[in-house]
Amino acid sequence: MGNKIPSFLLTRSAPPVFKGRPEKVKWPFLEKGIHHVATLIKQGYAQWESSTRKGFFQGIDARIKVFFLFFFILVVSLKREISAEVAIGVFVFLLVWSSRLDLLRLYGKVFFLGFFFGFLVALPSALNAITPGEVILPLVKLSRSYHFWVYRIPADIGITRQGMEGVVMLTLRVMNSLSVSFLVLYSTPFHELIRALKILRAPDSFLLIVTLCYKYVFIFAKTVEELHLAKKARIVRPLRAAEAREWIVGRIAFIFRKTRLRCEEVFKAMLGRGFSDTLRFYGPTKITRRDWQTAIFLGAAGIAFLLL
Amino acid sequence: MERLIRLEHVSYRYHDQITALADVSLEISRGDNLAIVGANGSGKSTLLQIMAGLIHPTSGRFLFDGSLVSEESLREKSFLRTFRQSIGYVFQESDVQLFCPTVLDEVLYGPLQLEIPEAEAMSRAFEVMEMLRIEHLKDRPSFMLSGGEKKKVAIASVLTMNPEVLLLDEPTNGLDPKTQSFLVELMLALIEAGKTLVIGTHDLSLVDELRSTVAVLSEDHRVEKIGRTEEILSDEELLLKVNLIHEHVHRHGEAVHRHIHSHYLFHRHD
Repeated sequence: MGNKIPSFLLTRSAPPVFKGRPEKVKWPFLEKGIHHVATLIKQGYAQWESSTRKGFFQGIDARIKVFFLFFFILVVSLKREISAEVAIGVFVFLLVWSSRLDLLRLYGKVFFLGFFFGFLVALPSALNAITPGEVILPLVKLSRSYHFWVYRIPADIGITRQGMEGVVMLTLRVMNSLSVSFLVLYSTPFHELIRALKILRAPDSFLLIVTLCYKYVFIFAKTVEELHLAKKARIVRPLRAAEAREWIVGRIAFIFRKTRLRCEEVFKAMLGRGFSDTLRFYGPTKITRRDWQTAIFLGAAGIAFLLL
Repeated sequence: MERLIRLEHVSYRYHDQITALADVSLEISRGDNLAIVGANGSGKSTLLQIMAGLIHPTSGRFLFDGSLVSEESLREKSFLRTFRQSIGYVFQESDVQLFCPTVLDEVLYGPLQLEIPEAEAMSRAFEVMEMLRIEHLKDRPSFMLSGGEKKKVAIASVLTMNPEVLLLDEPTNGLDPKTQSFLVELMLALIEAGKTLVIGTHDLSLVDELRSTVAVLSEDHRVEKIGRTEEILSDEELLLKVNLIHEHVHRHGEAVHRHIHSHYLFHRHD
């Protein structure tokens, strides 16, 4: 082998000489995006870590938590008073706090999603063109009002008190529903959640899809991260956006092919271990006295909010 | 000898949660032949990826040829180019490393990135393919290659950049004996050619064949010992401690034997 080594490999490459100011590399947006996929795995670890921490909600049976989730989302949707929604929000916050979850991370997500899917979506309904009522903030003055089919655009367009109350109400509902969901999600290991849903008679096909998707997301994120590192190892200059796009298209094809193969392998492995069409779990754990007490407490709190 | 790679008290935690390396200090000189050995999960791949500048230590420093390698320093065009040209990293899973349409594109990718004139790049590509006996595969896409062929193409794609340091992660893992012995010969030839070779492996027979300096990683992710091959491989207590060999009980007819066992080095009955 020794005498077959190409001559260029026997020479040491001279380091490149650069003149002028040191230049910084600007990575294209797509490159950065790939790197951020890796944070998915981090979030997965964080969820697993927070769900196994010793806290109030982590100690409760998953079935009680799933009931709590559905019941409280119902309560949040039925309430029509802002004060009641605020009270529910405070109650959920106390549960989150007593479960020793990361308040900043959880409420960061709640506020972010609540702002986009609650506040921004509902904001146009605060205008008197949509919700008539007492104008508290005039915005635009037109020369006259307009009528179009069943709609009427008034000459003075502004935000109404009734409209704003509706926006606040919807935003609070979204935020409360999100915080209840995140509380259950971050305090329950994923497999416990699936078991609880199975016991509550969720369809097997749904559970199978959710379980496999959840696992696949991590495999996918790991593969993308490895692909990114492999590319990074051979990049000596910043890629042009077109090059980055070309690479990504190639890698999408690779992942698609790999996914298809993996899918077949997983299914064969499931068949090989006796899978027919039903998911079977080992027997459910016994619901303890503490679980029942917590269930009664949460149920009573929910009913109290309904009556508020 | 001139120090090329220097790791000072390097620690690394994945996702801020899982420790992969704890206070690792290591020095590698130009032309060294180092094997990092350890059980699965001891941090070999992480250590190699830090040396390749793909991930950066959570604490501690990594210096290459006297310059600090960090996320910040690799944002500088000149340093990025010098560093990537000098260090070639071959992944354990070749699949992720091969991203060009054909084998020829793959081996040309590095030299073209380095802006080496096309004729020279082409000559490098063919010389390396000839050395690795993969010339006949030049027009094939990577998904139509066997595991051994993929590994050879991955190595070729790095060699055409003529790196000073070659980092190979589990280079012989999952390959048939013929390809394994081919790669061992290749690694010996590259060492002889003056390349700095760093491999991460738990294959003690490979370490034995390469006669490397050996850095042993323990299961708590620290460097347990650094020494010559013969010194490390004869230290049964150390190898047992780091889980690279194990005690094995089995039956020969009526007799039950208990002995230290490694698939390659030890199979000694008392």
